[in-house]
Amino acid sequence: MIVRAVHISKYFSIEGGVFKRETGLVRALEDVSFSVEEFSTLGIVGESGSGKTTLAKILVQLMAPTKGVVEFDGSKISNFRKDMQIVFQNPYASLDPKMRIKDTLYEPLLIHRLAMPKQLRDKARELLDAVGINEDALGRFPAEFSGGQRQRICIARALATQPKCIILDEPISSLDLTIQLKLLDLLLRLKERFKLTYLFISHNLNVIKYMADSVLVLQGGRIVEQGDMRAIFAHPSHPYTESLLRSARR
Amino acid sequence: MNKLLLVGIAIIGFLSAAAILAPFISPYEPSLIDSASLLMPPSYAHPLGTDGLGRDLLSRIIYGARISLGIGIIAVGISLCIGVIAGSVAGYFGGLADSIIMRSADIMLCFPTFFLILATVAVLEPSIINIMVIIGLTSWMGIARLIRSEILSLREREFIQAAKAIGASHYGIICRHLLPNALGPVFVNATLGIAGAILLESALSFLGLGVQPPVPSWGNILIESKATLGVAWWITLFPGLAIFVTILGFNFIAEGLRKHWGYNA
Amino acid sequence: MLKISNLHVHFDLDGTIVKALCGVTLGVNLKETLVVAGESGSGKTVTALAVTRLLPAAARVTSGEIYFNGKNLLLLEEDALRKVRGKEIAYIFQEPGSFLNPVYMVGDQIMESFLLHQGLPRVEAFAETLRLLELVKIKDSRRVFFNYPHQLSGGMNQRVGIAMSLACRPKLLIADEPTTALDVTTETQILDLLCELKSSFGFSLLFITHNLSIARRIADRICVMYKGQVVEEADAERIFCSPQHFHTKELIHAYQTIGTQ
Repeated sequence: MIVRAVHISKYFSIEGGVFKRETGLVRALEDVSFSVEEFSTLGIVGESGSGKTTLAKILVQLMAPTKGVVEFDGSKISNFRKDMQIVFQNPYASLDPKMRIKDTLYEPLLIHRLAMPKQLRDKARELLDAVGINEDALGRFPAEFSGGQRQRICIARALATQPKCIILDEPISSLDLTIQLKLLDLLLRLKERFKLTYLFISHNLNVIKYMADSVLVLQGGRIVEQGDMRAIFAHPSHPYTESLLRSARR
Repeated sequence: MNKLLLVGIAIIGFLSAAAILAPFISPYEPSLIDSASLLMPPSYAHPLGTDGLGRDLLSRIIYGARISLGIGIIAVGISLCIGVIAGSVAGYFGGLADSIIMRSADIMLCFPTFFLILATVAVLEPSIINIMVIIGLTSWMGIARLIRSEILSLREREFIQAAKAIGASHYGIICRHLLPNALGPVFVNATLGIAGAILLESALSFLGLGVQPPVPSWGNILIESKATLGVAWWITLFPGLAIFVTILGFNFIAEGLRKHWGYNA
Repeated sequence: MLKISNLHVHFDLDGTIVKALCGVTLGVNLKETLVVAGESGSGKTVTALAVTRLLPAAARVTSGEIYFNGKNLLLLEEDALRKVRGKEIAYIFQEPGSFLNPVYMVGDQIMESFLLHQGLPRVEAFAETLRLLELVKIKDSRRVFFNYPHQLSGGMNQRVGIAMSLACRPKLLIADEPTTALDVTTETQILDLLCELKSSFGFSLLFITHNLSIARRIADRICVMYKGQVVEEADAERIFCSPQHFHTKELIHAYQTIGTQ
């Protein structure tokens, strides 16, 4: 076990009226518990509105849960901001448009003191090489790259801190199909090479099947099914999982 | 680079160069009184004519550029510093800090600024430094609001979340990610602010509460022309023209920058 | 019926020339559905717009020919071309909102073409419009007639868009990703509707999509575009069973591995 979510709930209150009284409660996540084994990939599947992204943000502590805690194996994750990284869905919004690629990559290296100033360029070059981007990208701005290339750069930035675990929040769903497959293959290679643990979030069960060892099905903020990937594909127990499977097989 | 921006930069560049090089290029001492040539119309010896004390108008306008441009730029510099800090703190941290900062900005906006400045200058003394500081202190609210609204919309963007996820500090996020992305429209606004500050100084001088004679500023040259307007049109026209061209130049730069960076606001 | 040959289109973006199409050749036969499949940036939308010279101002057709029923559309006078647009070749787009005017009732917008192009009296035009709305499976056509675009769902708006483009009984309908903005259930309904209308109206369909499962469902023939060129053109079955070009293989492989959700 490297990460464990224990009874996580997240409610958003809706405020209304002049005095900002609470008029309603959106239950984005309700009593979500799971654990992730080291070096494995947990797939989290659900439709839009099922609470996937909220869960991702809670796991990397960009948002606090209303109830419950996220636990880590202290022997594996000592510095949270370094050992746990996230890649977002929209590659067009997740790179700073005013920053050159090299500065985007230097930032995590400098924050966590992972490179001496002289080594920065070599480190950044290595990172780009690992994700299959030519090193002449260093001096350029995000606007000069396609969606797929930007997402590779985002992955390089996540790798810069030498993380143990990466949360991938729909990292490919805004891209073209062939690019999607190439990115998935890249992620699989990187996982082997850097001994990573993935939490892979997607609405596409086929993608989850391609990537994950175990799976967790979210519907309306609740876990409706979780377990071994192959077992669930063969014998889904919940009707919602069945309907997802049916549309995936089309 | 569009034409507007280039023309604006050319105008302001030319005026700034004149202001900086004033001692070398002005034909006379600005306060040299020549009783032999009072109220002379433009001529070869005095290209823009002389005023009622026989002082060379061209020299006075060139020296006046130092004062007027200096006040404009420094006053806006002060309001930019206050506005950017106040706006980014309010926008980034939100909550109580936001309420306090933005409510005080609202209060400041409720005062009739010009009378506030008039009153302050009347109580203190109308020195150049005082005028700069007062204009700066009373004009930061627009910039703060602008920065705050930019930061509010940037704050939820994914690259800010990503910066948090790699462990960047609040200071790092504001300075490295938020401000570079938020400053564009603010610079456009500030450029217009310089024009506004120059106008304000002229108005103060015109009321006798601005830069005090014999130091020449465009505003107080204009007021001295009041008495002789009927006989010496040039004393009114040329400083007025200087103010007009400067403001036009800053407006061109602002509009040009906006087009160059592609803002619609 | 429609024959595009060796079409080159360049974009002039602030002095830099971007080649959008480099020699596109394709043809649509009478009453057939040709699907142009390709990923973003492959040039499929540019091809569709070039047919009736609807390209943005920065684009320039540098060479090539587009024949439609014997007429070269690229050489046609603007007046003559306007008669072809809408009347013989109609479009439906990805965002139905983009061609419906938000300040007019949808019924009026459809009726306009009966009044202007066909010169029908108002009463008949109204009746025709209602009939057309029923043909695109809008049940309470009288209510929808008096609605504004924002009062209707995306799927409804797309139906209105289809009705509008069919008002003049075009011979060729060009559909540019008409279901991409819709959810899966609505998508299926719109596709079924298009196929049904195609056989009742008897038009040819040029359908542009990045989605291979749509292509598989509706296509007679498929054209695969890649980097501004048609890299493969064949019967729908052939494309899926024995793709020839490496990009087609890549597409089919990705489609079979991770689907198109």
